[in-house]
Amino acid sequence: MHPGLNKAASLLFGAALALTATQAVAGGTLVVGMTAGDLPITTGNPDQGFEGYRFVGFNLYDSLILWDLSKADKASELRPGLATEWAIDPNNTKRWIMKLRSGVKWHDGCPFTAEDVVWNMNRSTNEKAPEFDPGQFAQARPYLNNYAGVEKIDDMTVAFTTKVPDSLFQYNISYVLMVSPCRAKDVKYNWQDFATKPSGTGPYRFDKATPHQRMEFLPNAEYWDKARVPKQDRLVLVPMPEGSTRTAALISGQVNWIEAPLPDTVARLKAAGMTIVTNPYPHNWTYQLNFVKGPFTDKRVRQAANYAINREDMKELLGGLMLEGYSTVPPSTSYYGKPVLYKRDIAKAKALLKDAGCVPCKVTFAISTSGSGQMQPLPMNELVKSNMEEAGFQVTLMTMDWNALLDLVRAGVEKYADVHAINVSRQTQDPFNALIRHVWTPAWSPKGANWGHYGNEVMDKQVEAVMAEFDPAKRNVLLTQMNEMMNEDAALLFVAHDINPRAMSPKVKGFVQAQNWFQDLTPVSVDP
Amino acid sequence: MPDTAILESPTKTFEDQAAPATRVRTYWQSVGYRLRYDKGTLFFGAIVLAIVLSAIFAPWIAPFDPYKESIIGRLKPFGWRGHLLGTDELGRDMLSRLLYGGRVSLVMGIVPVIIAGCIGGMLGVIGGFTGGRINTAIMRTMDVFYAFPSVLLAVAISGAMGGGMTNGMMALTLVFIPPMCRVAETATTQVRSLDFIEAARASGAGTMTIIRHHVLGNVLAPVFIYASSLVSVSILLASGLSFLGLGVRPPTADWGLMLSTLRQSIYVVPIVCALPGVAIFITSICFNLVSDGLRQAMDVRL
Amino acid sequence: MLSYIARRILYAIPIAFGVSVVCFSLVYIAPGDPLQTVMPPDATADMIAIVKQAYGFDKPLPVQFVIWLGKVLTGDFGMSIATRRPVLDELVLALSNTGLLALFAVPLSFSLGFIMGTIAGCFPGRWIDRVVTGTAVIGVSLPNYWLGIVLVIAFAVEWAILPATGMGPKGSSDFSLLSWGDLKFLILPVITLSMIPIGIISRSTRAAIAELRNQDFVQTLRAKGLSEWAVIRHVIKNALPGVLAIMGLQFGYLLGGSILVETVFTWPGSGFLLSKSIINRDVPVLQGAILMLSLVFVLTNLIVDLLQSTIDPRIRRA
Repeated sequence: MHPGLNKAASLLFGAALALTATQAVAGGTLVVGMTAGDLPITTGNPDQGFEGYRFVGFNLYDSLILWDLSKADKASELRPGLATEWAIDPNNTKRWIMKLRSGVKWHDGCPFTAEDVVWNMNRSTNEKAPEFDPGQFAQARPYLNNYAGVEKIDDMTVAFTTKVPDSLFQYNISYVLMVSPCRAKDVKYNWQDFATKPSGTGPYRFDKATPHQRMEFLPNAEYWDKARVPKQDRLVLVPMPEGSTRTAALISGQVNWIEAPLPDTVARLKAAGMTIVTNPYPHNWTYQLNFVKGPFTDKRVRQAANYAINREDMKELLGGLMLEGYSTVPPSTSYYGKPVLYKRDIAKAKALLKDAGCVPCKVTFAISTSGSGQMQPLPMNELVKSNMEEAGFQVTLMTMDWNALLDLVRAGVEKYADVHAINVSRQTQDPFNALIRHVWTPAWSPKGANWGHYGNEVMDKQVEAVMAEFDPAKRNVLLTQMNEMMNEDAALLFVAHDINPRAMSPKVKGFVQAQNWFQDLTPVSVDP
Repeated sequence: MPDTAILESPTKTFEDQAAPATRVRTYWQSVGYRLRYDKGTLFFGAIVLAIVLSAIFAPWIAPFDPYKESIIGRLKPFGWRGHLLGTDELGRDMLSRLLYGGRVSLVMGIVPVIIAGCIGGMLGVIGGFTGGRINTAIMRTMDVFYAFPSVLLAVAISGAMGGGMTNGMMALTLVFIPPMCRVAETATTQVRSLDFIEAARASGAGTMTIIRHHVLGNVLAPVFIYASSLVSVSILLASGLSFLGLGVRPPTADWGLMLSTLRQSIYVVPIVCALPGVAIFITSICFNLVSDGLRQAMDVRL
Repeated sequence: MLSYIARRILYAIPIAFGVSVVCFSLVYIAPGDPLQTVMPPDATADMIAIVKQAYGFDKPLPVQFVIWLGKVLTGDFGMSIATRRPVLDELVLALSNTGLLALFAVPLSFSLGFIMGTIAGCFPGRWIDRVVTGTAVIGVSLPNYWLGIVLVIAFAVEWAILPATGMGPKGSSDFSLLSWGDLKFLILPVITLSMIPIGIISRSTRAAIAELRNQDFVQTLRAKGLSEWAVIRHVIKNALPGVLAIMGLQFGYLLGGSILVETVFTWPGSGFLLSKSIINRDVPVLQGAILMLSLVFVLTNLIVDLLQSTIDPRIRRA
């Protein structure tokens, strides 16, 4: 063989080897079709609901306390994030001391310190600070109701203070994402500029985005948690609010992962070889009831409504993509306990209504045509209506679009006293959002999410006890009691829990679906 | 081309105008004569009539309650358990829903055109007849609305007002007023300048009499023909609004809305899910063809 | 001619002003809160009130209009509430994406419509006329968003030869007219979008040609011994101004009226931006988009007017 040729051949061979080698470690490109109507904002706490946190928030950024998303078989709990440990000040139940992780670097190379935490908190709470961002103020405020302040103790320690003693404050902090002050100063606090080159500490770095169309992230090889350095080469996010568009995009290969496939498309997706992944998660498709006026002020009527619902039929309607809802939280929750379950019993429902003297029992439900977490609101509400009418109710459905329903819900029960129930799905990720906000007097609308003004001394005492209990095991006992109390009193009309379906191409490997609104994409790789 | 939009050249003398009824009847007689031999238009006219009648009599001819759901009977194919055209995503009978849906779709297609025809036609006649500043004021205002592409204007108005059937119809009415006004104004201006009006005026006829006897007769036909051609546009626009979620609200049966909700189930029973689109298409094409036929029979050029 | 042009332009100014008034007031008849959608679903009424102050949505309407108009005249359309990007950036991006659709849909539909209409008008009553009129009436009667859905099911899902949605495998910023992989994304939207203009243009061309062929001057030309081809050329030249006016209107439709088609194909153009801003109650974007599209429409009509009067000076409008 000619020596030159030989050399060329070996070079070629070597190149081919190198190519296969890179292919072997290369994790491919994960393209996700999200249900969001637009790309979430990238300046910290994202919009577009928890989907924004799932794909943008917790990928670009970390919070001080993160969720452990590595297990599929049990409800997720908190784990250390940018803080390695946190504890209540032994001398002051309104002061939390958090030790920060050392050696963490922002994507722009600056080191992460205690000052950065103070700066970040000012950014979304202190209107006078130069770093104040009204957008972040809007996004973060729901989680900072009880936040009073933060101070630096030393370079790696901070202390948070709360307005009232709050053993659940750690959960609130888990939703507050930290962005790099270095980058913000680079762009002179122009948050719109920051959005196009965001910098955090998260497992992904921002690469580029085309507004409204797609956003691309690259693995952050220097991520502080080596186990969570992304296995794929590139993560692409595409907003696709329309369900049949998502299906078409997955089948035609434009994306290899879609969120929330429509129940009616599942058979077609399976026929095309796609994998459907599901797992229960802290979501509650429910009705909050009116405790000020109307039939639901009577406990017997609330129980009758709960007995009337045929949850098995509902599951069939959704092609199996739900979990029967008998309580505020799904049974895998650590504080589920042994609540009274209102299994379908039409005779009992009828008897209770008769007892209550509500025949026919006329009720009006405010429902939406679509919306975040609302699943398939129209068919589901129609089924609830026909179930309840079998038991002697007469249900009027007030149908409106999602924003109109949110308007009505926020305005509170006093303004719309003739609405007897609202169908708004709620996230039940942490004890406050799961239980307390539905039944606590200080959370009465329009101040809080207790739309129907449920409230009594016993329940309020229980809430106070929970918030004052800093021992996790003891607190869990109190929360279990509380969940059982809510069921006993039929505080909500329980219907369904979503099971978070997503469909993906068979080439997508390594995903573990946590029982959580947030998911860890870092172990995912995509075969060529 | 000074003759556009005039029915027949009204060169008759003053005596003829004293008895306009005979003139109109002969005109309509000739229209009827022409229509009778236009088999195509008659055929499509019959379909339009059938669609309208089936919508009016939907409660009597629909085989099922259009709002009765059945969870086991969701998305079934043609002929399943007596459901001639299958069932929708809530197990409701498709045939019954299409019949009922026709009511909403036809109302949303026809009512805005009629209202716009009246308002726009009136403004056009007033403007065209009085001329001068009033005409300028009316027509310049119309020009402003003309500056919006029609779909854009319909979507923007009904979107701003928050959707719903009434808002949708108001939006469509607003969209159709300017072109109606223009058609009427053109026709009126042309009639006004003709000799026989001068003659009527010279003989001492009042303005209202002139408008009633001479102008309306000649303006009505172009306005009517133009309006008939807008019905199909209106049906398409209305269903488009419903498709975007700006029209009627569920569970009301409406073709555009049915198309939009069934879009999610298109992978299960594609043919059933395509039906509302077929209904819109057939209705719209029949209205178009009938309008074309009428235009020819009435010898109107717009 | 110059004074005519000047007059037409001057005439367009009050219309543009009227349009801006309509755009501005349109948005404020909307019920509900413009800040509604930026707030997380869990946010309470109290929080929204605080945020509303932070955004400064509390001045009287006429004041807001003057401020808005003044800013618009300097090219500042404000910020999108939903994305916090400048509205102008959003508009330019969306219009350029829609322009790309138009770049293909306009030549396709205008030439096809014109050719079809001319042929049909030359042979009125013959089979070719029937085919053309039939096709044209189908074009104007089809709900085009429905056609779009049917095409996606057939070409993207069942046969998997064309993409279903979006603009190019990498989004609009990397779109290349030279790459087949990108151009594929244009095919279905362009076909769907072209149906209505093809129908309308061929119908009006046919009508114009058929009518002109019956007019005296055509008989005279024939009597003079001109070839049929030369006669047709004369007829076409006379039909052109009217057809141009129709094309101008259709151009406006392609820019602003593509809202349904762009929604079906998730094409990130002006129609899609508009429908999204309606859903999101994104007031500044909504105002800006309607204003911009209408002004483009006014401009198109102005150009058509001037073109018409160049071709046929008799039809100058007052």
